[in-house]
Amino acid sequence: MPSPVATISASGNAALRVSSALEDREAGWRLVHHLARFIDDARVPGVECVIPTYDAALIEIDPVESSLERMRSYLESVIARLDADRPLTETPRLFEVPVLYDLDGELDLRMVAEAQGLSAADIVRLHSEPSYVVRCLGAPGGSPMLDGPAFPLPVPRLSSPRASVPQGVVSVAGRQATITPAAAPGGWALIGRTPLVVLDLDAEPFVPYEPGDLIRFRPIARDEYVSLLGTRMVAS
Amino acid sequence: MSAGFLTVVEAGSGQITDLGRSRGPRYGVPVSGALDQRSARIANILAGNDDRAPLLEIMALDAEFIADSDILIALAGAAATLRVGGIERPNEQPVSVRAGETIEVRQITGGLRAYLAVAGSFDVPRLLGSCAPDSVLGFGGRLLAGQRIPLTRATPPILNTHFGAELYRLNVPARPDTTTVEATDGPDIADFADTARRLYEEPYVVSPTSNHIGLRMTGILPERRVQGEVLSRGVPVGAVEVPPGNELLVLHRGRGVTAGYPVLAVVTTTALDVLAQARPGHTLRFRRVSEAQATERARAERAALDALRLRVRSVFTALDALPTSSGRTLS
Repeated sequence: MPSPVATISASGNAALRVSSALEDREAGWRLVHHLARFIDDARVPGVECVIPTYDAALIEIDPVESSLERMRSYLESVIARLDADRPLTETPRLFEVPVLYDLDGELDLRMVAEAQGLSAADIVRLHSEPSYVVRCLGAPGGSPMLDGPAFPLPVPRLSSPRASVPQGVVSVAGRQATITPAAAPGGWALIGRTPLVVLDLDAEPFVPYEPGDLIRFRPIARDEYVSLLGTRMVAS
Repeated sequence: MSAGFLTVVEAGSGQITDLGRSRGPRYGVPVSGALDQRSARIANILAGNDDRAPLLEIMALDAEFIADSDILIALAGAAATLRVGGIERPNEQPVSVRAGETIEVRQITGGLRAYLAVAGSFDVPRLLGSCAPDSVLGFGGRLLAGQRIPLTRATPPILNTHFGAELYRLNVPARPDTTTVEATDGPDIADFADTARRLYEEPYVVSPTSNHIGLRMTGILPERRVQGEVLSRGVPVGAVEVPPGNELLVLHRGRGVTAGYPVLAVVTTTALDVLAQARPGHTLRFRRVSEAQATERARAERAALDALRLRVRSVFTALDALPTSSGRTLS
């Protein structure tokens, strides 16, 4: 019998995908993150890792030590006891991220503006207006995955992804936004760059934020970008 | 007293790795680690190590090493010519190496990746519990000629020095079929409607752009029949995707942990080891299996490795008990 608040499907013989079936997206996001934290804390034998995202969590298992059937019924029992209304973080931290927006046409801001039927200034305003909740840590290198700005349309992914997106780039795709902590290939539209250094390999975890924290982007000019270059990203 | 170093003479395309960073995906970092997990386990088992111990993954190109103390090694994975002090020695067996002798791994054939374990393993840095390189984070990296890898201990020779013959012959479970890739239907297979079956019907050729992140393959591709953006979510190692372009993508252990592409199918845990050994130009066929069949296969393979571990232990225990005049050398 399917769980009423989530569906669980096999993703191969070593992983299960739990997808929220809740109408309320916020509650669905809290549900999958509460689930991930519960499983992490419980140190369930046979669980390799949990990857919670926006509305789903992937649970990877060792199929020799556990089994999909056993894990599925375990997850159902845990989900039934979770309170999806409970906040993920009691006191979220706010990270202010200065951004040199791409007003010189080096990146993709102009293309994004044209596709939205907006001016470049509109894109900057819409992107830097809200405080974004860090929904999850994603690829590459613990990127803070955010909801997209209030653009009229989803942002298409690039038809041919870049072989390397530099560290510190601020990007949007679909209804999502992020900062790239480490250089990697990518197909998202790049609209600016932050001078801040996000990664600290000597820290654990090696990114300063966690799901539930807040990020706000602040437009800066090139001289401020230069003076802040290399500064570590910390909560304000 | 220092246990000494294994010095890289010829680096080839090698790296120090282990079974992977299982705590990584939680933080947006791929699990990485040995692509052929089974062969990495075999090499470590034959060297008397924990399965998770750091070892060398040597890809395609020749490599050469030299140790400054007596060590015990084992080579597994893709068949290769192993020479110790210039003399050919067997794959998939514990092999003694005297201080100053060269260890050559040459002519890797019948696969792409060979695994070289040293008894006691290496003393190397870890990130989130694993020494596996992560190119995105800039942790670890390829071996370099002249690099000195710290050993944790020496192992006196357990070789009959008069005849150079092995005192034991360990029977390693045979390698799986290297052209058939078993996969289960993925959670988003419905997005591909009736084109999904092409995956199991058509042959696919491995592209040269394949790497530890994923294997790219050309062939007649399934087509996504549903439009619309997918929110990023966790993708399993083994996910079969059809990204824009003209290639099938099978994600391997270096994959980005989140992505927004639908998952058509998922290569089984044991078949991922098969993919790890597939060379560019190889033709592969996918075979559809159930999750239960895949798990049964995974358990049978692991049980065979458990049995091997027991046999290795009894050999080592017996050799330890042998009366010898110098170290464990028989003369």
